Amino acid sequence: MNKKILIIDDDKIFSKIMKDGLIAGSQGKYDVFVAFDGVEGFEIATREKPDLVMLDVLMPKLNGLEFLQKMRAEEWGKDIPVIMETQLSDLEKMSEGIALGVRGYIIKSDYSIEAILRQVGDVLK
Amino acid sequence: MIPQNILYIAIILIILYLAGITFAYWFFLRSKRNIEMKESEVKHRMYELAILKEIADRTGYSLNIQKILDVIAGSLNQFLEYDVAAYMLLNPDKIIFKSDLQHSVSPQFIKEVRGRMLKSLAAILGRDLTNVSVEETITGALMLEATDEPVRSYFNIPLVIGDQLVGVLTIAHRKEGFYKEEEMSILYKIVSQASQAVTKLEETVKTEQRKTAAMIESMIEGVVMTDRDYRILAANAAARNAIGYEGTELPTIFDFITGLNGAFDIKEKLEESIKLDKPLTFKNVMLRGKYYEVLISPVKSDVGVIKNQILGGVVVLHDITHEKEAEKMRDDFTSMIVHELRSPLGNIKKIGEMMKSTKVLENKQMSSEYVAMLSESSSSMLTLLNDLLDAAKISAGKFTVEKKESNLKELLLGRVKFFDTTARDGKIELSLSFEASAPTTASFDPVRIIQVVNNLLTNALNFTPPGGKVAVECFLHKKGSTIDQEATKLQLPWIASREDSSTGMLDDCLVIAVTDSGEGIAPENFGKLFNKFTQFVGAARENKHKGTGLGLVIAKGIVEAHGGTIRVGSIVGKGTTVYVTINL
Repeated sequence: MNKKILIIDDDKIFSKIMKDGLIAGSQGKYDVFVAFDGVEGFEIATREKPDLVMLDVLMPKLNGLEFLQKMRAEEWGKDIPVIMETQLSDLEKMSEGIALGVRGYIIKSDYSIEAILRQVGDVLK
Repeated sequence: MIPQNILYIAIILIILYLAGITFAYWFFLRSKRNIEMKESEVKHRMYELAILKEIADRTGYSLNIQKILDVIAGSLNQFLEYDVAAYMLLNPDKIIFKSDLQHSVSPQFIKEVRGRMLKSLAAILGRDLTNVSVEETITGALMLEATDEPVRSYFNIPLVIGDQLVGVLTIAHRKEGFYKEEEMSILYKIVSQASQAVTKLEETVKTEQRKTAAMIESMIEGVVMTDRDYRILAANAAARNAIGYEGTELPTIFDFITGLNGAFDIKEKLEESIKLDKPLTFKNVMLRGKYYEVLISPVKSDVGVIKNQILGGVVVLHDITHEKEAEKMRDDFTSMIVHELRSPLGNIKKIGEMMKSTKVLENKQMSSEYVAMLSESSSSMLTLLNDLLDAAKISAGKFTVEKKESNLKELLLGRVKFFDTTARDGKIELSLSFEASAPTTASFDPVRIIQVVNNLLTNALNFTPPGGKVAVECFLHKKGSTIDQEATKLQLPWIASREDSSTGMLDDCLVIAVTDSGEGIAPENFGKLFNKFTQFVGAARENKHKGTGLGLVIAKGIVEAHGGTIRVGSIVGKGTTVYVTINL
């Protein structure tokens, strides 16, 4: 069965590239869902119960950490692996993320698609 | 034979002559004595003056009464013979007793002098001094085997500074009847002159101190002064506030230690500064939510024999909270610029990766999507850079506009048309009302005014929920009535600005307003609207709507470069009106 990946990021271009990249890079073995804010992300997560969430930190409505707290409070969301997407400037937020069971993080503008795919593959193994 | 009457005459003449001589001699003697007396008096006075002057010179401008008494006691032997000259000084916790022995006397003699002095002090003060500790110093030869003679001559001079008795000076001798009025009066004069000098000096110092205290008290900087034993001598309001001290008394060093709450070891740093004899600065001391720069410096005397002697320390608390906030704002601004540039740049890089490694280019639809994303990413970077450049020019005062006669009505119609799709997508009713009385053309920079209107409309559409209304309004303002009154008269949808009452003073001009029925701006955020730092950082943090958040800052710059003004009226939950004026 295909693995479900949910990308929650208000940067529509980044989300689109990541979606295309993940699908192409896995030869179609990943089903990728995209949400542009935390609220929408929570709706999709509740419905799809993804195998991995790629989560942006700065987002309208519900930011990354708020989303994470909310998802961790749910029975279905307790153990879903999460990769946080950050910019170098919000690295300090990582400690809060790690406390909430974040499995890894990517620095959005620095990491290549290949590196991101590798990290996603490692977490989903 | 000499006639008898001639003889009588001769005898009378002789008698007269003798009387005359006697009288002259008597007169001479009397005058001489007078002159001698005067001379001696003058000499005496000169002597007195000499001593007084010497004492005055030696005591200088000292306020130290003990030091003055030492000088007096040390000079006494020049004009007074005595066995013991002693003084007693009242200190808060003890009595200082110092005696100078001119001739050797027995311990018993000193004890007697001491007893008499204590007794007279107690009598003048009306206080029992038996339990007060006495610190005793004796200079000169104290002979145990000296003849045990009692005090036979003795006089006391009370020491009064201001209206307060501070001690007593005593002269004692073994011989009887030794001191006459004269000696007593000269010593009395000396002491009273010294007392007066000290009293005057104390008054002057107190006045100066009061001036200094008033000055220190009103300073914005927190100032704390201590003596060498770290006792607080002064702590102004700012310093008391800094440590949250609310008492009415002068706080103690312990109040400071408690108030500083471990943020800063005031005593240790004072010790360090005094020990090293140099000023020390400590940055970023956090106290009760504020940042301070703390400067500690030793205080040195710059007069007299104690010149350069360290008298204590001074602590200055300089509130740098505003600087810190501004610094943080600038830092945030810079990191946000970097952040905002990195995102599109990172995306451009990834688009390139995708095009290279996957089949994007083989798929026609994907190719056009990726090209569109490339163009969007690069233009968002360009917009950001242009906005930053504009904002920088505005704050540097180097922003210029190119005014030319342009058609405002057409410009506004064009803008409304341009935003029509966005408005319809958001289910917002967008309208334009251009008052018939307003001239359709004016002199302005059309490119820049388009930028302003675009910004006002983008904001209005972004903050208006579906079903709401956004109205673009243009009308003529006439000097004498306020813009608010004019808008109301025209029955335009309008939220009055709080500062609108002053617009009556404005010369005739065109008013372009955008009124929305959106969420409104909270009063506490009004001040931030035109601050490029907070706006930009806020927009980037929230990431709620596209744009740099610099739009209003730039709009204000553009309007002001045209000589116009920009105002905002807003009510939370009701809507917002932003208007700009363009001079005719």
